[in-house]
Amino acid sequence: MRAALLVLAALSGSAQAAWIWSDALPVNSVQGAKVFPHLESANRQGVAVSDGSVGVVWEDNRNGSPQSYLAIKPAPAKKFRTEIRLSQTECYEPVVVALSAGRFVAAWEEAGRVHAQVVPGGAAIRLTEIESAQVTLAAGAGRLYAAWAEQAGRFRRIVVASLTATAGTLGVSLTQPVEAAAPGDEQGWPALAVAGDGSVTVAWEDRRNRHTVPMASHSSDGRSFASPARLTDRKSGSVDGLGAGTGAMRPTLTAWGKRGVAAVWLDKRDFLSGYDVYAAVDEGERHFGRNLKVQDGFGDNMVQWHAKVVGNTSGRLLAVWDDARDGTPDVWLAEWKGGAFGDNEAIPAASGAGAQTDPVAVLDDLGQLHLVWQERDEKRGTRIRYVRGASR
Amino acid sequence: MPEFSRMKINRLISVLKENRMNVIKHLMAATCFWATAALADPPPDYPFVNFDTGLKAARASGKPIFLYFGRYGCAWCDHTNRKTFSDASLKTLYSDHYELVYVDAESGRRLTLPSGERITEAELGVRLQAFASPLFVYMTPQGDKIMQAPGFKTVQDFRDFDRYVRGGHYKQKTLPEFLGGKS
Repeated sequence: MRAALLVLAALSGSAQAAWIWSDALPVNSVQGAKVFPHLESANRQGVAVSDGSVGVVWEDNRNGSPQSYLAIKPAPAKKFRTEIRLSQTECYEPVVVALSAGRFVAAWEEAGRVHAQVVPGGAAIRLTEIESAQVTLAAGAGRLYAAWAEQAGRFRRIVVASLTATAGTLGVSLTQPVEAAAPGDEQGWPALAVAGDGSVTVAWEDRRNRHTVPMASHSSDGRSFASPARLTDRKSGSVDGLGAGTGAMRPTLTAWGKRGVAAVWLDKRDFLSGYDVYAAVDEGERHFGRNLKVQDGFGDNMVQWHAKVVGNTSGRLLAVWDDARDGTPDVWLAEWKGGAFGDNEAIPAASGAGAQTDPVAVLDDLGQLHLVWQERDEKRGTRIRYVRGASR
Repeated sequence: MPEFSRMKINRLISVLKENRMNVIKHLMAATCFWATAALADPPPDYPFVNFDTGLKAARASGKPIFLYFGRYGCAWCDHTNRKTFSDASLKTLYSDHYELVYVDAESGRRLTLPSGERITEAELGVRLQAFASPLFVYMTPQGDKIMQAPGFKTVQDFRDFDRYVRGGHYKQKTLPEFLGGKS
């Protein structure tokens, strides 16, 4: 059986290579055995493209404590400029979105509060004075939003803020929790998407059902949010009196097409093979449809990690993640084919010997995929790498 | 690859998985005597602490670390807590001889690995290549992994693992080799 699968996997290579990839570029300029960069963030929002300029954010400990960094590759440049440090004190999980004209907004957690800044050139502001973490950002239809997990009594809850960016100055115009009631259990890891019609969708991990369930809510104006609904169509409940339900975590969202929003998350409904990548699509009805498995049969018995969905306004939609089906962790991609996700494709520069993990990605308006990942090497140190893909 | 072949493979994989899950579900049903839903957390009355606290304590005490990698709402964790960790002698054995660490498989809580790297508890699952919960990991007082065992385990399993770890047998034998020659 295994031999047959390997032969068939080799044969499937001819059906792959739907993309033309640029040369991979290094992003982080400081590496070492004791320097640990991380691309983890809420909505895995670590790369953005503004008028051809690519901005990448990450956290590493090169100075002895975790700090956030931003590296920019200007549109005509062939490599990334040396990174700039965004944070002053201990800092985690930075994210970035694009404004116009090569500008970006970055956000991160620092000293127990979430901060944001227009870059290059702006000044950092606190988005809230309340203890908070796991911030994310989304921009679209002329709007800019942030979401984060904020302490509300015993637990954290999800808060969404409408932001303004005027020249280099960032402002917070409205901040409100998705639900007015105090949370009954922990909420965290929000994801945001601003659809083409200007509506905002927020998804997050929610433990009100005594296990982790990705939930989502929509707002047409960023002021009033609909009652949360489950992203997963798997019901909560014990099995023969045991537990409370299978796990699902780290939802990610993207705007897609004219009005659509898509979600991808890690889902342990098949609890014997670790997390799988699942997706749901809202084609503009502000209701997510049935759950769809993203990885193909060759990845079914493997555990998947670090899933991220990316889409663009012209209707392209895909998911990236890492798994070790070929023996070592590689970054994989599956593209939406209009009713299901297609065959999985290993990204050449992010596969092969060694460990290639933690993808973050964005699609630009031309349909080009900008992918960033970690290449772990215990001796040389972890490299953050970038590649751009275009359709054949 | 021809679509027909891929469909056949997918169908075969799915049938195999379905059968495997049915077997496990029936096993679960056969071994359960209670009807109330419960959460999966560390077993009650055990002195479990978070990763950083446990690693620090282990370095000070010289005791090995017993790491329980669980998941909020996990049925098999719940089953293990009720069926196995309820054993009073096991509780004494593990409380006295290990630094007990609990990690939540889906948590964003931060921990620091012995290398100095800061990751989340969920990310520890990636590093351990965890595909199921619960996962039980034994570590030296310095935080180096000795062995890990996924899924439901009996009181006797944990007694065997304890002899393997604290007896230092892991330095010369694999766990199956050790268990094959139980003494």
